[in-house]
Amino acid sequence: MNAPNPYKTFVKQFFISHGCSIINDAPSHFTVQLTNEMDEEIMNRPFYWHYMKKMNREGTPMKLTFSDTDQKQADGIYLHAGTPKLHRLYNTAISKARTARLYEVVHQTTGQNRAMSPWLVVNGLLHYRGKHTKDEPVSIGINLIHGTMMLGMMDKMMDMNFETTVSDYTYPMRPVISLSHAYKRMERHIETYVGSLDHQWAKDSLHHLEKETHLLESFYESEDIGLDSFTKEREQLDNRYKPYIEMEVINGGLFYISQETSQSWMKNEDAST
Amino acid sequence: MIEIHPDQSFIGSLSENLEHPEKLTTWDGFKLAYQAAQFKTVPKFDGLLALEHLPHVDFMEHQIEAAETAVHQMNGRAILADEVGLGKTLEAGLILKEYMIRGRAKKVLILTPASLVNQWIQELNEKFYIQAASPRKKNASWNEWDVTVTSIDMAKRDNHREIILDIDYDLIIIDEAHKLKNHQTKNYQFVQSLKKTYCLLLTATPIQNKLSDLFNLVSILKPGYLGNLTDFKKKYKENADDKDNIQHIHSLVGHLMIRNRRKDTGLDSSKRKVVNERLSFSDEEMDMYKKLERLKANHPSFTWLTLAKELCSSREACYMSLNQLKKNAPEEKAPIYDEYIEAIGQVPHHVKAKRMTEIIEKTGEKFIVFTEYRATQFYLQWYLQQNGITSVPFSGKFNKSKRDWMKQLFKNKAQVMVATEAGGEGINLQFCHHMINYDLPWNPMRLEQRIGRIHRFGQEHDVKIFNFAIKDTIEDHIMKMLYEKIEMFKNAVGDLDHILEQIPGGSFEHQIQSILKQSESQGEIDIKLDNLVSYVEHTVNERRESS
Repeated sequence: MNAPNPYKTFVKQFFISHGCSIINDAPSHFTVQLTNEMDEEIMNRPFYWHYMKKMNREGTPMKLTFSDTDQKQADGIYLHAGTPKLHRLYNTAISKARTARLYEVVHQTTGQNRAMSPWLVVNGLLHYRGKHTKDEPVSIGINLIHGTMMLGMMDKMMDMNFETTVSDYTYPMRPVISLSHAYKRMERHIETYVGSLDHQWAKDSLHHLEKETHLLESFYESEDIGLDSFTKEREQLDNRYKPYIEMEVINGGLFYISQETSQSWMKNEDAST
Repeated sequence: MIEIHPDQSFIGSLSENLEHPEKLTTWDGFKLAYQAAQFKTVPKFDGLLALEHLPHVDFMEHQIEAAETAVHQMNGRAILADEVGLGKTLEAGLILKEYMIRGRAKKVLILTPASLVNQWIQELNEKFYIQAASPRKKNASWNEWDVTVTSIDMAKRDNHREIILDIDYDLIIIDEAHKLKNHQTKNYQFVQSLKKTYCLLLTATPIQNKLSDLFNLVSILKPGYLGNLTDFKKKYKENADDKDNIQHIHSLVGHLMIRNRRKDTGLDSSKRKVVNERLSFSDEEMDMYKKLERLKANHPSFTWLTLAKELCSSREACYMSLNQLKKNAPEEKAPIYDEYIEAIGQVPHHVKAKRMTEIIEKTGEKFIVFTEYRATQFYLQWYLQQNGITSVPFSGKFNKSKRDWMKQLFKNKAQVMVATEAGGEGINLQFCHHMINYDLPWNPMRLEQRIGRIHRFGQEHDVKIFNFAIKDTIEDHIMKMLYEKIEMFKNAVGDLDHILEQIPGGSFEHQIQSILKQSESQGEIDIKLDNLVSYVEHTVNERRESS
């Protein structure tokens, strides 16, 4: 009937990956037992935890129930695009996972040790700022041995398995290209990419900025406004209309990926071009 | 080339964290952060994302439109000037939320009368999921709080003033902004010196007394936009009544101000059903009507029009005017009216009165019957009484206690109210949902006002309206000429009232009056009325295209 609630899976995975357990899992709602750390992190009760620690006591973490409908009889936090708790989880998820070093899980039992290539993977958002605003997600990977660049990196990696330790019978290769060099290349790529787009939004913004600036100047020339007012307004016009793109990195890391995997990506890439 | 602001810190912290494995995340954590960022992404330039974030609030259409206009067309500087009770606060909250989601508003200051501070905080929290703080005497962290709600009086105090003026606010909202109409006050100067990117001014009365009120509000949003105050005053002579001036100002501030009016908002959930009834005169009545046409020869066309229209209403109304004509005429001419006065005495009961009684008897509901003429009003009351139907009279000229008394009688005792023009702020009669427009005023908007008595806030039933007109008479003519055409545009745009008020050289009503008075013949009247209607149609189309 209804599309499944897209936030439900995210929320469950979030809590599980932070060591909380799901103690009740019904079709339309589920309940999570928080750990002390998670309670402190997301429940907004610093005084309680401060007091508990001071008294040298354990403290009781709370349970949270989430619901995927807004029906009145269902209690729990209704999960939708604007749910405040959900946004709290987003921010926690992002702040706790800025950086990583991860190894592809490779099941190899015998034979020669396999080499794992180092990749710098960076996920970010391009914030388009001007008269109007929007974001564009980017996900880029660069092979630190031979410099191959991959776009849509996370999509490719999403279904793979990574661990924080290297799999048996595999060894990580030493990067030839330094992280900062690779990152610079990514930035250059974004510049080229941005330069290749038709930025109607930016033209509109600039056009509007010019129009408003002219108007403001004419007000100043006809002495309808003073210099103070002019200077302040001029600055505020820039704030409102001047187009720019802000690159924000969400997270990134050093990933060790088997050559079989990266070769299969390249084959697909070739096939599609 | 568009400027790109790079992320300066990331690669350094990655290199550093690689030395401290405890700071690194797992694959699950990495993926979750990536997904969280996807959820937070603003996917498009247009539209209101805030709506998806606030599924528990039922925003009304005009509120959504206002927020869209303020964000996407006015670019975040606007006067929200809806009439009282249409939800300006909700509009402002929606705009604020949209800017927050789009990452354009972090530092926000809301200035409101002290008595409304808590209400704002509560609404922002419950309706918009926005946590706002308000300073107490000793506890004011202007720099730390993202969203602050306070009064101007609190903000401009010595110990706060300088701190606040130093902050670059992304958005400032000023509630009850008409209080800032005087530019010489400390409050005005304080607001004027705030640093702000976006700014919303909320007021139900953008012009309270003088046009300079509006000037001062506009100057907060766009200094210089209306010139300087001295010139402005000279130009508009402080005269808020002059229609042309007001219209000119309206067109200037149209880019800055959103004003929804109660009647344009579709707030009435009940529907209205309008039936135009074309009735035929009896032979006697038609003879009388034709007889009157003879007067055209030696009277101004306006005189004939009046009499003809009155006859369509009641013989009594026509009789009164004929008598008046006779009285005003020089002695030697007076006898020419006798013939008509006598003939009118012979006319039987009015065909409309019969039809009215039929309808009322058939439904058994409460009815309000509107007529233009007092003579008709008396006649109808008498006629209803003859048919055993109870009625009360109503007139806009009644004083307040008499109005209330009549309303009470109508509500509790009588089946019908027979009213002449309700006269401005009349009464609300939501308990009644049937109306007969016994005769038709020249101005279709007057009909709208009549209907507004019963079709308004709180009307739970669908409203049924009968418009009476007599076939092959001047009434029929009005109906075809004005009502049906105007009704057609009305369905196309909601804002007809506005257009009719803003015709150059006076309102629609004025235009019709002068056409009737100044025209020499029926033909001339027709042509002029037709032009007037075409002008309205043209304006309507223009609006439709530009919107």
